[in-house]
Amino acid sequence: MSADGMQRKQNTIRLHLGMEVKEFFRKITEASPDRPKAMEYFDNFLRRIYCDDAAPASTRPLIGTMCVQVPDELIYAAGAVPYRLCNGSSTYDLCGAEFMPAKSCPVVRATTGMLHAAQINLKEQLAAVIIPTTCDQKKKAGELIASMGYKVHFLEMPSTCATELSRNYWQDSVQEFTLELQKITGQKITPARLKKAIQKIGAAGRAFRQLYNLRQGPLPILSGVDAFLVSNGYFLDDIDNWTAAVEALNNELIERQKKGTTVGNKNAPRFLFTGSPPIFPNFKIPMLVEEAGGVIVTDEACSSTRLLYDAVAYDEEALYDMLPAIADRYLKPCTCPCLTPNENRKRKLLEMIDSFSVDGVIYQAYSGCHPYEMEQMAINDMLAEKKVPMLYVETDFSKEDMGQLTTRVEAFIESIQSRKRRKKI
Amino acid sequence: MNKVREIINTGDINRFRFWFQLAAFILLIYGGCLAINIGNQLPTFACVFEEMRGGSCYLMGFQHQTNIPFDKILTGRGIGLLTGLITFFLFFILFNKAWCGYACPLGTLQDWLTSFRKRIHLRYSIYAEQTFQRLQSIKYILLALLILIPLGMNNAIFGLPKLNHDFAVPFCMICPGRTLLPIFTGDFSQLTIDFSSKTKMIFTSLGMMVTGIFLVGSLVKKRFFCLFCPMSAFHYIFSKAALLRLSKKGDKCTKCGNCYRVCDVGIRGIADDITSKNIVKDDCMMCFKCVAACPEEKCLTVHFLGLPIYESTEKGFFKRMLKGKK
Repeated sequence: MSADGMQRKQNTIRLHLGMEVKEFFRKITEASPDRPKAMEYFDNFLRRIYCDDAAPASTRPLIGTMCVQVPDELIYAAGAVPYRLCNGSSTYDLCGAEFMPAKSCPVVRATTGMLHAAQINLKEQLAAVIIPTTCDQKKKAGELIASMGYKVHFLEMPSTCATELSRNYWQDSVQEFTLELQKITGQKITPARLKKAIQKIGAAGRAFRQLYNLRQGPLPILSGVDAFLVSNGYFLDDIDNWTAAVEALNNELIERQKKGTTVGNKNAPRFLFTGSPPIFPNFKIPMLVEEAGGVIVTDEACSSTRLLYDAVAYDEEALYDMLPAIADRYLKPCTCPCLTPNENRKRKLLEMIDSFSVDGVIYQAYSGCHPYEMEQMAINDMLAEKKVPMLYVETDFSKEDMGQLTTRVEAFIESIQSRKRRKKI
Repeated sequence: MNKVREIINTGDINRFRFWFQLAAFILLIYGGCLAINIGNQLPTFACVFEEMRGGSCYLMGFQHQTNIPFDKILTGRGIGLLTGLITFFLFFILFNKAWCGYACPLGTLQDWLTSFRKRIHLRYSIYAEQTFQRLQSIKYILLALLILIPLGMNNAIFGLPKLNHDFAVPFCMICPGRTLLPIFTGDFSQLTIDFSSKTKMIFTSLGMMVTGIFLVGSLVKKRFFCLFCPMSAFHYIFSKAALLRLSKKGDKCTKCGNCYRVCDVGIRGIADDITSKNIVKDDCMMCFKCVAACPEEKCLTVHFLGLPIYESTEKGFFKRMLKGKK
């Protein structure tokens, strides 16, 4: 395509993306007029990025990341900033669909589509793109992205987290990534810098966990959509600003809890969201659930809880202990369905159902996302045994299935409400 | 009460342990100067070959008492063995394996060597999992030997001829506690090879070798000797009855492995075992570093007589992690 044509295409994309995002915010402000004030920060941040095409705040090199397994601590310690590329817009999904299979995962398609469409800007901004070898589609997309001229590093990941063999392999892989990063940024990773980076992310993790704990309370004080907005801000935001904004949100939520201010009905059925990650601006299913009178109190998605829940602990302040400690944090507790077996995910779900007093589980699988599609059956059986109702939804970024989905979600919530009523009597 | 609990749970166990170990070291090594003698059946290496000790290691007495003919078991000598064992048991159940993590002078010595290694920025070494599994049985073999050899002095076990008197206290002869701990009182006399008989020569040479291996080993590997310690094996027989316990709530565990990472003895089960409630494994020395490294609320708990005294908390974890953050 000519430079002129490319420019025209980019303008069209920007226009569509802007519309998509504006529509999103119009809908959520309409749906819940009494959102916490502190949410404004996250709204504005994402608006700036998507509508105003704001450049990333940092002047330091940007390292694009795909998947939660990329150790962000190392990127900070090497003097760069991580920039999570996973994308959820249907505009970029359409860009990707031009050259990717129709039955591929929409997240991978949208992400690759974005990197393809935005080649001129992003290629200059991204010092490298780090792709952990998680699912097949991300791996193969990595080859496509490399062929577009991006500098791609494949972070080799084992297919299990349960053995010492996989643990050692992953530690070596992270070690190699460290060397590669130092080459990319030209800055040496020292124990002192790494400690600072661990604390930086630790502080973000602490704020996130406080939010996570607040949502365990009996009153629904934050909508699931807002919670996803918060965690999606983390993808691209300056980490210190983000942490401060979450702390402000937490303080406001504590106030609201004291006053008894809730989002929606205080007896609304409580849901746990799991499966393929909702990524901004596509919060289709969470929005449907909350419009139909439910509230998502927690999630087990890699765009949210899995992103920030775990924390690094090391014994000796030296690279030989800190690097494996960081590696452990990204593999050992991981509940990604690309790992086999994935008992951790089942246990995590059960623990969450218990601690969040969950009434039902919403399981989203993007069509084409095989790991989540395949794991659905095992999770379904497990939950059936525990008598926890689950709704399995297979969808993508388009709006075509909205009518059908609305009916299913409403029926599911209705059945849970009547179950709850029966229990009360 | 809750305030006190919070102070403990958000505290720095490593610093507490350092000072506690130092105090215990002074007490066990120099306590005798202040006319202190805690007891002669201590479940820890308060070495009998050291003159100023404030108590004595039970293994010495135990080896003397198992030097008993089978037909004398039901006499006064048998009762002596029994009361010794009971006293040891009573000492032991008070603190369980925390005797190793908090009191053992040989353990403390190894921790000091580790601190020295950190100072000189020397990398630690760890065992591969299979090696670790294979080495684990050594302490039980040593324990069996330290019972069988003294028994073999008075009885013809398996039809073998009776052993001569130089076989008395065989473990003490090879224990690095005998050679190293007297040094702290200025006594270097144990660092010798005894040529007075063939048996003694072999035992004391073995002792010198073990001492060398101990020093080099624990400089590069945290708590190197503990994996082979027969006292640790002896402890584990009674561990389930102890009053001090470390328990784990498996459903709270995310298997993140933080506890496993900080474990000086490298116990994988602390992270990956999600079914055992009592999580004290045979190599555990109950230092409770794992509790401090666990970010899950009340997943790991130290109990004394059923009362929680130290728990893993999210608040404590992040306080320790973010210490000194600007």
